[in-house]
Amino acid sequence: MAVDESDLPFEHPLYDLMAKMPGLDLATTSVDKLLNWGVRNSLWIFPMATSCCGIEFMAAAASRVDMDRMGTIVRGTPRQSDVMVVAGTITVKMAPRVKRLWDQMPEPKWCVAMGSCAISGDFYRDIYSVIPGIDTVIPVDVYIPGCPPNPEELMGGMLALQEKVALKRAGLRVPPEVRPETAKMIKPRVGRAEDPTREKLIGHHQALQARTLDLTEPADLVEAMTPKAAADGDQEGGA
Amino acid sequence: MTTAERESAFVELLRARFGLAEDAEPPPEGFLLAAEHHFELARTLKQQHGYVQYVSVVASHWPEVPAKGKVEGDPEHYEVATLLRTVGPGSHVARWRVRIEMDGALDSLVPLFAGADWQEREQFDLVGVRFADHPDLRRLMMPEEWVGHPLRKDYAIETGHLPWR
Amino acid sequence: MTLERPDRADPYLDLDEYEPEADLMVLNFGPQHPSTHGVFRVVMYLDGETIVKAVPYAGYLHRGVEKLCEKLTYAQITPIVDKNDYVAPMFNEQAVNMAFEALTGTEVPIRAQYIRTIVGEIQRVASHLLWLGTFAMDLGGAIGGGTSVFMWCFREREMILDLFEHLTGCRFHYNTHTLGGNRHDIPAGWAEKVHATLGHIAQRVDEYEAILDHPIFKARTEGVGVISAQLALDLGLTGPLLRASGVDHDLRRDAPYNIYDQLDVQVMTDTGGDCAARYRVRVREMRESIRIARALVDNVPPGPICGTKPIKLPVQTRVKDGQVYVALETPRGELGTYVIGGGDNRNASPYRLKIRPPSLHALSALPYVLPGHGVSDAVAILGSLDPIMGEADR
Repeated sequence: MAVDESDLPFEHPLYDLMAKMPGLDLATTSVDKLLNWGVRNSLWIFPMATSCCGIEFMAAAASRVDMDRMGTIVRGTPRQSDVMVVAGTITVKMAPRVKRLWDQMPEPKWCVAMGSCAISGDFYRDIYSVIPGIDTVIPVDVYIPGCPPNPEELMGGMLALQEKVALKRAGLRVPPEVRPETAKMIKPRVGRAEDPTREKLIGHHQALQARTLDLTEPADLVEAMTPKAAADGDQEGGA
Repeated sequence: MTTAERESAFVELLRARFGLAEDAEPPPEGFLLAAEHHFELARTLKQQHGYVQYVSVVASHWPEVPAKGKVEGDPEHYEVATLLRTVGPGSHVARWRVRIEMDGALDSLVPLFAGADWQEREQFDLVGVRFADHPDLRRLMMPEEWVGHPLRKDYAIETGHLPWR
Repeated sequence: MTLERPDRADPYLDLDEYEPEADLMVLNFGPQHPSTHGVFRVVMYLDGETIVKAVPYAGYLHRGVEKLCEKLTYAQITPIVDKNDYVAPMFNEQAVNMAFEALTGTEVPIRAQYIRTIVGEIQRVASHLLWLGTFAMDLGGAIGGGTSVFMWCFREREMILDLFEHLTGCRFHYNTHTLGGNRHDIPAGWAEKVHATLGHIAQRVDEYEAILDHPIFKARTEGVGVISAQLALDLGLTGPLLRASGVDHDLRRDAPYNIYDQLDVQVMTDTGGDCAARYRVRVREMRESIRIARALVDNVPPGPICGTKPIKLPVQTRVKDGQVYVALETPRGELGTYVIGGGDNRNASPYRLKIRPPSLHALSALPYVLPGHGVSDAVAILGSLDPIMGEADR
């Protein structure tokens, strides 16, 4: 049974202290605003730069555009970063590494998908070795379209992210603006990271893969891994 | 020597020692030689004719062509083209092809050219052709656990690799 | 340097046979590291600080371009291959289009050949600028406060991108070459802009040399990563890497394409074979490219820029038989395209298209060169090879 937690009383020693001390709640609110301002304006970037977009990312960090004036320092390590900018095509061989680097980043963290390849795979989308969009692996906050986007567009995306961070820290929800027909058109085989059916799908697909891997003949395995065979497998699993 | 002179010298060499028919016109697809001449030709070119730079190796997969009427059938096979180059003015690329059956293997050029190592690994990975006596024939581009060879004609371009795509 | 370095290390070294007493450490470098210039991984086995064996792993950016090209018609392939060598896209376009022109027997008008040569030389300057900036940044904070050279080089590179934006309308991936010529003619006032920009960059190159004439830069590059001429030829290294090892070979002079047979191209060589020699060769090539582009841009003959009209329909490009190999000289070396005609779309697609990537050959030098060096030298050596992973992995 689902419980609506908003009606439950919130009890914490700190909360009691704040309720007793006059003026402390006002102070904490002000400190919170200050912290939000600080978080918003010091988004340190971890560049997951794999291909062409990485060069435009470098151009954005270099002399003409100079993204650093927004407080976005580029760090080479995930452990000191707030934002992962995925700039470039992510392949099947690279995706586990991206996931691992994302898991190493401390909360709160955000992800920006820069360029068509990171958003949907672009024209590499249907190729055997390319994953159809980084949001099938990690959740994405801001999408910056382009092939590659100009440095100015990257700055626009970072400003949008600042806005989103401010809204989220203030407790407001930022609903994604996705047109249903577009979502249907770009639906990948494996669900996106925020798709509720994803866990079930991946579990099923992994089981299917494990079953097919028992085959000894490589040719059979290729056949088993093609989409048609996988679709048949889905029906079996359903029944 | 100019490029044209080197080209004619190369054709002469093929005719004299490597089984090219005397009156054979250079076909638009390049010279097709027997596989047993492959290594010996590369060694001769490198040691005696100045083709010291390794350029590339290109393998291609040819699926079975069933016999139909007067057209003869052709079993499934590979073709491997090898390219070597001379350096300096009048540079020329020596290019020849050999045909490899599906269960066969081509002599590796790694003992002659260290650069053949990665190129042959790549062609083995993507096309599936095997190279005999290669010191380290592993996959280069695809992950180790990958199944199949993507550039073969019977490999669907949109083949999935779960759970990633 | 006191370390003993043989001419060529053994890449297939069996670690069990290496001194059993040694306490080897495994250091994984990449695939995500700011100094790998993309996504590239090297596993290094260290004895103390010295590399004993290096095992590189490529393929983290393998996007299946060759398979994709088999599905597209000849006219559709140009914008796809733009993304291979994303630091010098002009050369990618030209390489595939030259191969298709050789396959279909298409003539290129003289004006288009001039435009191709000019944009190629300007692109070479931009590519070397990007290499110089990232290489100086890889070598760390010692040189001019860390990112100074990087910032300077990008400042000049942006000026070149502005030139291309004026010419093609695109900043990065141009799609300006087509089968049988070019899409975009030289706009009015472009030649003056080229003179102004390149003249400006020619002065700035002197500044880079002045700031990099620095004891720390020299200590980290001279004698580091020596590639002998024999090893460079065996590995198929081309371009500045080969010329830095003392081999006098440049496709622009030795196997001319475009209008290079009418030009007097000075081939820049150096004898060291180390990182410093590769740096010197590239800086000299920048000056030479500036000279060629400035000499040509005023003398472009009038005429059409594309054979008759741009070829768009597959019916115009059906090729049943034939295999060609065409190569040109990019900032990284010999970029070749091997095409087998007669594929899908009723012979309007290549049956097989193989791109010969100079970067992959350059990276294959690592297991031969890295052993004997320290870990910090690995970054300098990898940077001096100027690999572009989009091209190496395709």
